[in-house]
Amino acid sequence: MEDDWADDTTAIRDSEWAKISSDFQNAGYREGITAGKEGALQEGFDEGYAETGVPIGREIGNLRGISSALVSLLSSPTFVPEHGDREQFLQEARLISMELAELRFSDVAPPDLQAEQHAREHLESADVDDRDFDVEMNEEVKQKRDVEGLEDLMTRMGAGSISSAEAKARPIKADVAKLVDRLKSLAGSLGIPLPLP
Amino acid sequence: MDFDLESLVNVEQTFYDDGYKDGYDHGRIHGLIEGRALGREKGFEMWEEVGFYEGFALMWSAICEKRATKEDTRIVHHTKQLLDLTAQFPKVNPSSATSSDLDIPRLFRQIRSRYKVLCAALGIRPTLKAGGTWSPPDENEQEVASGDPGPREERKKVWLIDPSRSGRQGGDDLSF
Repeated sequence: MEDDWADDTTAIRDSEWAKISSDFQNAGYREGITAGKEGALQEGFDEGYAETGVPIGREIGNLRGISSALVSLLSSPTFVPEHGDREQFLQEARLISMELAELRFSDVAPPDLQAEQHAREHLESADVDDRDFDVEMNEEVKQKRDVEGLEDLMTRMGAGSISSAEAKARPIKADVAKLVDRLKSLAGSLGIPLPLP
Repeated sequence: MDFDLESLVNVEQTFYDDGYKDGYDHGRIHGLIEGRALGREKGFEMWEEVGFYEGFALMWSAICEKRATKEDTRIVHHTKQLLDLTAQFPKVNPSSATSSDLDIPRLFRQIRSRYKVLCAALGIRPTLKAGGTWSPPDENEQEVASGDPGPREERKKVWLIDPSRSGRQGGDDLSF
């Protein structure tokens, strides 16, 4: 095309041709997007459910259930451990339970790499239409994140301090591993094997 | 000169088809991303609760096996019954699995009441909140956690977007 710029007729013809082609292409693009999206939602859902949500939910749920059982065992004054102090064990079990209760999916969920990459592609895109078609968050998921944001805000206000240093960071995956270790050592002190799958 | 008249007549269709293909590929990425985000969230929500009962039963079973009193034999029996139920809870979306006779809300109800029975046998109070989105196992609340088919159109659609794939038409009872 660059070579033809000298020739006005060719330029006009080319631009009309380009307009017609882009009109039809755009119409097709819009319909294609809707069809492609609807066709892939279920596949994405099934993948996210089975590969990420279920295993992580189960892991956290198991840990909470285990620590809850330990709290109830240790709460009973009739339970006397072979070694060590029941009250002390109980305190540790309660602390672990509390930390587990605070965990959110968003703390431990791995990032969706495709989503991140695609969002970047949209930002970098020169096409205005393309930028409008943003990666939306599902309404329900978004609501949950909003509530969590609000909880964080309340926690910070509740801390009531001007200094930002003690604003507690959200737990990360490594913290879960630490809690598992603490559960293991607690169960070990009681001489009971930890039933982790 | 060779001139393909056919292709000139169909030129509009060709442009449209080109655009459609590009759009479809792009839409697919968005569908996967959105679907995945919701699927992750739902899978976590279901299993953080089911996993709680599972972990609870497993731990008590380990405790009882160590103590091995007469009473403990009875409790182990209760933990087994609870674990039988949690093992039935789907780890893949049942709409894409072959066995579509699964009644999730019913299974959830059974699991919750088995958990309460186990707690009663142990003489302890059922935990009402184990953190996060974990919902209390009482009858009024349970509909919320196991999928209110009412206003949450989105849930229903996503849990079972394509009824033909699952081979059943009335997928409403599977909704989440």
